[in-house]
Amino acid sequence: MSMVKLVNVTKRFGKIVALRGINLSIGDGEYVCVLGPTGAGKTTLLRIIAGLLEPDEGEIYIGGKKVNGVPPERRSAVYMFQNFALFPHMNVWENVSFGPVIKEWDSEKIRNVTSEVLEMVRLGERRDAYPNELSGGMQQRVALARGIAAGARILLLDEPFGALDARLRVNLRTQLRSLIKDQGLTTIHVTHDQEEALMVADRVVILREGRIEQIGSPQEIYNNPQSIFAMSFVGGANFFDGVVYKSDSSGSTIEIRGGLSIRVLDTTKKIGERVVIAIRREDVSLGKSRRRGFNNLLGEVVDAMFVGGSIEYVVKLENDVSVSSRILLEGGDSRIFRRGEIVIVSFHPSECRVFQYPERGLLKEIEAI
Amino acid sequence: MAMELRMADFSSKLVVLCSLIAFIIFVILPTFYLISYVFLRWDEVWYEVFANPIIGDENWKQIIKVLLFSFRLSLSTVAFDLIFGIPLAYVLARKKFPGKSLLEDLVTLPLVIPTSGFGFATLITWTTIAGLGGLLRLRSGLMSLNTMAPFINIPFVLFIVHIALTFPYVVRTLETKIQSIDVTYEIASRTLGACSLTTFRNILFPLSLPGIFSGAVLAFARSLGETGATLIVSGVSATASIAIVRWASEFKLSTAAFMGSLLVLIAWVIILPAEIYVSRGRRGSGIPFSLPTNLVRKMLRLERFLSRNFSLIKDVVPLVIVVITVIIPIAVVLNSVILYWSADPYTGKVEGGVMYQLFGPSNYFGHLLRSTLTSIIVALISTYISTCIAIPISFIIERRWYGRIIRTMLKVPLIIPTSSLGLSVLLLWGSSGLNLVSSGIWMIILTHIVFSVPVIVESIIAAYEGSGIQMYEESARTLGATAYNAIETVSLPLIKGGIFTGFILSFTRSLGETGATFIVMGRDVTIPVLVVNMVEALAIPAALFTSTYLIILSLVMLSIIRIFTRG
Repeated sequence: MSMVKLVNVTKRFGKIVALRGINLSIGDGEYVCVLGPTGAGKTTLLRIIAGLLEPDEGEIYIGGKKVNGVPPERRSAVYMFQNFALFPHMNVWENVSFGPVIKEWDSEKIRNVTSEVLEMVRLGERRDAYPNELSGGMQQRVALARGIAAGARILLLDEPFGALDARLRVNLRTQLRSLIKDQGLTTIHVTHDQEEALMVADRVVILREGRIEQIGSPQEIYNNPQSIFAMSFVGGANFFDGVVYKSDSSGSTIEIRGGLSIRVLDTTKKIGERVVIAIRREDVSLGKSRRRGFNNLLGEVVDAMFVGGSIEYVVKLENDVSVSSRILLEGGDSRIFRRGEIVIVSFHPSECRVFQYPERGLLKEIEAI
Repeated sequence: MAMELRMADFSSKLVVLCSLIAFIIFVILPTFYLISYVFLRWDEVWYEVFANPIIGDENWKQIIKVLLFSFRLSLSTVAFDLIFGIPLAYVLARKKFPGKSLLEDLVTLPLVIPTSGFGFATLITWTTIAGLGGLLRLRSGLMSLNTMAPFINIPFVLFIVHIALTFPYVVRTLETKIQSIDVTYEIASRTLGACSLTTFRNILFPLSLPGIFSGAVLAFARSLGETGATLIVSGVSATASIAIVRWASEFKLSTAAFMGSLLVLIAWVIILPAEIYVSRGRRGSGIPFSLPTNLVRKMLRLERFLSRNFSLIKDVVPLVIVVITVIIPIAVVLNSVILYWSADPYTGKVEGGVMYQLFGPSNYFGHLLRSTLTSIIVALISTYISTCIAIPISFIIERRWYGRIIRTMLKVPLIIPTSSLGLSVLLLWGSSGLNLVSSGIWMIILTHIVFSVPVIVESIIAAYEGSGIQMYEESARTLGATAYNAIETVSLPLIKGGIFTGFILSFTRSLGETGATFIVMGRDVTIPVLVVNMVEALAIPAALFTSTYLIILSLVMLSIIRIFTRG
């Protein structure tokens, strides 16, 4: 059964359309990441689910009940702000017991629930501390505990790691996720960090300019992107603009700038159609000889950057187009190319995705990031 | 559930409506009634001001004369404030030195001391033998009330009092503004090779222009509307606001009302553009013209020279001004009370001593006790009612689209001369208007509410905007708190400091107000008015004692404010 369901939700702010006809259904206990660039409407989406904003059109269901017009306090959807919004004038205990106290439970129950939840996030000993005395990670745990104690069924996380430093972020991701999963909470987590989304989510929703671009598991999103935007936003790729000039049952040949031709397996595009070819950087290899059955293009290495366990090369082809290639450094046999070396760039036709040429131009699709 | 929700919606609308009604009746109506009074009774005004059968348009000539004098005084005061206030504000905002908070308190002091007491202190200091005259071994005071300051043709003592009373507005406003400007801009400019004056001219000055502007507007309005101290030191010259008090007490109501509405209009003409300018200034302000290169080069050379050789002057001169205008008068009053305690030290007469005047036949001590009671009752009740109006109004200002309009309207009672305000309240509630309240303590309370609400609102809004309340409230809502719960458990505790500060500020202001109180008080005398009465009755030792009493009272207030604003 779906816990949260949005049907055709639209929201405008004056002339700006923040969300356009969003349809989304999230299962009970599911961890969903909403991924998108700044201004995509991510926060608006969360605020609408929380009841802090009302949509202009469309319906919202929580636990099967329509909640349009229901105030935030009756939705059991706890919103966690980027800086956690722990009440600065209350200590940890008072913050965590806020929900139970507001709901006027009897004092015995308030005490039990609060201490239980505090133990769960391992902050029982800091119950008298004030928020400004806690580290970022602790504050996040208090915010989570506060939500759980308030009887949250749905957790809305707005860039939950945005206020933390980079190293801490990676550790806390898995910690937060396992705490949440233990509680069986339905979670909607908004972020612009694709790595974070792929790492923690059961399902990823790519949002762009108020529209859902693609929904799928992290693997689906990465391995089978449905649009140029999805491919460049998650993982990134090389893009070539070209025209189909030959097509048969085994594939097509596409001519790109400078008269170079690239063979692809895709057969859905017609001859003469303008298309975009996309190849992931790790699918491009460099070598000194041509590889059989591959596309082989001649180029000169213009830049080489060491990125942890791999090297990222930028190669300028004969037609002045640059190609990036990420090559894993494996023991022994991997050869390192120097700047100025002439190399052969190879990639297999099966790794080439072919998209229709976008109406607004290729750069617009990639630069929105 | 739907029923319940509708109830909640309804009650929140009811709260907003009630607050707005109270706000309009108690604050807005008195502010604007004066203008409509002039329109409604134009015949009377015309007759009295322009076409009196006996004196013709003599009253109109008086109005013009008084207005011109007031403007000359206010403009010179503001110019002086800016020249010496800007460096002082810079030092307070950017430097750390021992005694800094003491200096800040000293600059702020004239805001808290009831102005009639302060005016009296200045009067004693400059014009009597007990003050600077005695210190310099002269036989009389250093000067008389009519000694003119050079160039501007304004009585010197009057000028000094106005500087002391307006200086804090320029310095404190600008100090806050400079503190909000990132110090890295200055550092960048200095590391790029600009000297400190050049950095100021190119970086800090353009960025703090809105602050300079709003400080100047506040100081100008304050000087234009000042009554308490001016009544005491003005001598034969009359400013616009004391002219209103005089005319109102002579029952020349139409002339006073006409002049009062002129002042209200002038205040409007000043703040509206200032409001627009300052709100635009947030988007970045620059100087819209460029200077010729050779002039710039000369300026740079001059600035380098001045920065190197005269930087001490800019630190020391403002300090000297604070000492002369604030510390010396207070010290002189305290000293004189001791000198005059049992008898006049120069003639030896017991009748000229503080004790005789307080407990002798004129029984000023009894007056003092009664006026203390009046003052405290007025201050407590008016501040309490104002706080009750100000809290919901602050929330409305922050949350509703019409908040900006309300906030702009709230600036008006702060900058129109209080004597116009008092006149307006008298005409609105008194026998010639609605006839609901007669002159006396209740009318004083009604008047004080008008300027207390804006004081408290400003203080609450300052606390509100610094605390990210919106987010905390939303967070509370998603945790299960209703809108009312969220305000009660989260918002109010968060802005508690702002409410207390506003309460104390308004209490202090009410305690020290003279101009408006004079017009509406009837037979109920407050302490600052008592000082003026004593001076007019030439009961100098009694006035000395009362001023000391006021100064000590306000020092206590100031320390309470400091405790709250620190915490």
